[in-house]
Amino acid sequence: MMTTILLMACITFFTRYLFLHRALPFKVGPKMQQFLSFSAPAVLTAIWVPIVFVNDEGINLDWQNPYLSAAIAAVLVAYKTHNIYYTTVVGMGLFLILN
Amino acid sequence: MKKALLKGFLDMLPLCLAVIPWGILCGSLAIQNGFSAYETQAMSLLVFAGSAQLVAIELIAGNTPLLTILFTTFIISSRHFLYGLAVRHKVIDQPLRWRLPVSFVLTDELFAFSHHRKAYRTKTRLIYALSAGFSFYIAWNLWTLIGIVAGSLLPDLTNLGLDFAIAATFIALVIPGIKNLATLLTVLTAGVVATVLKSLHFELWLVAAALSAMSVGYGVSRLQSKQEHSQ
Repeated sequence: MMTTILLMACITFFTRYLFLHRALPFKVGPKMQQFLSFSAPAVLTAIWVPIVFVNDEGINLDWQNPYLSAAIAAVLVAYKTHNIYYTTVVGMGLFLILN
Repeated sequence: MKKALLKGFLDMLPLCLAVIPWGILCGSLAIQNGFSAYETQAMSLLVFAGSAQLVAIELIAGNTPLLTILFTTFIISSRHFLYGLAVRHKVIDQPLRWRLPVSFVLTDELFAFSHHRKAYRTKTRLIYALSAGFSFYIAWNLWTLIGIVAGSLLPDLTNLGLDFAIAATFIALVIPGIKNLATLLTVLTAGVVATVLKSLHFELWLVAAALSAMSVGYGVSRLQSKQEHSQ
């Protein structure tokens, strides 16, 4: 078991460190840089949207889905306030009430 | 320096709190699946990657072959390549003693704080990033420990929907950043593609969704700047 954990640790660290390694002989050009500037919204959204819509049975678009109503509330609060505390508190609060 | 330390901690605090359910779940799930307390904590201390850990716990418990476990870990972790590429030009001039710890704590959460033009480029900003990154590391390990201790006492947390805490935090990180059409379309594409691919159980759903969304964002921003030039 410990071997598996150590090997997993090597893999996650490798994926995080690789492109911060200086000996890799390349420079990220301005076009690539512009492409990569979209990586944060792209990856973070690709993580959170399926949490809201996908369950064991598939895609859930039901309005009764507490994930959906709480997510809509959180999006509205985030849009209005730009505040991470308000957004998570309102989102989680509504979610726990509905669930 | 003290200010940067404190600011890093405070900026990361809401994310440290939002990850409580996941950390506890990671600890308790491992214990319930026959991991020892040491193994469970070692996983959080060394692997330090929530989604990879949760999936691996289930796979290990199901006696999945080692290669499958490692391949799955690699697939889930491959989004970090994007993070490394995106911050490379900011970090690469720093000596190894800074780059190593930065890469060790380069999580989704820390990456979300890496967009400032000067991020990682000054000593203050490096200290800020490491403070944020390592406070998240400590929090993650603390929540794992609580999960280990609570372990068998806790009911099955997997179906309580506590993963919504992650969704709420990421909403808070993404929505305020949508300031132009290109980013809006990136976000919409990422959401739709990820949802469809994940529901189809496509293994590379996360990376495929991210790359297609980034292509859309990039394409739109190029089109827009071309139009501006031709006017």
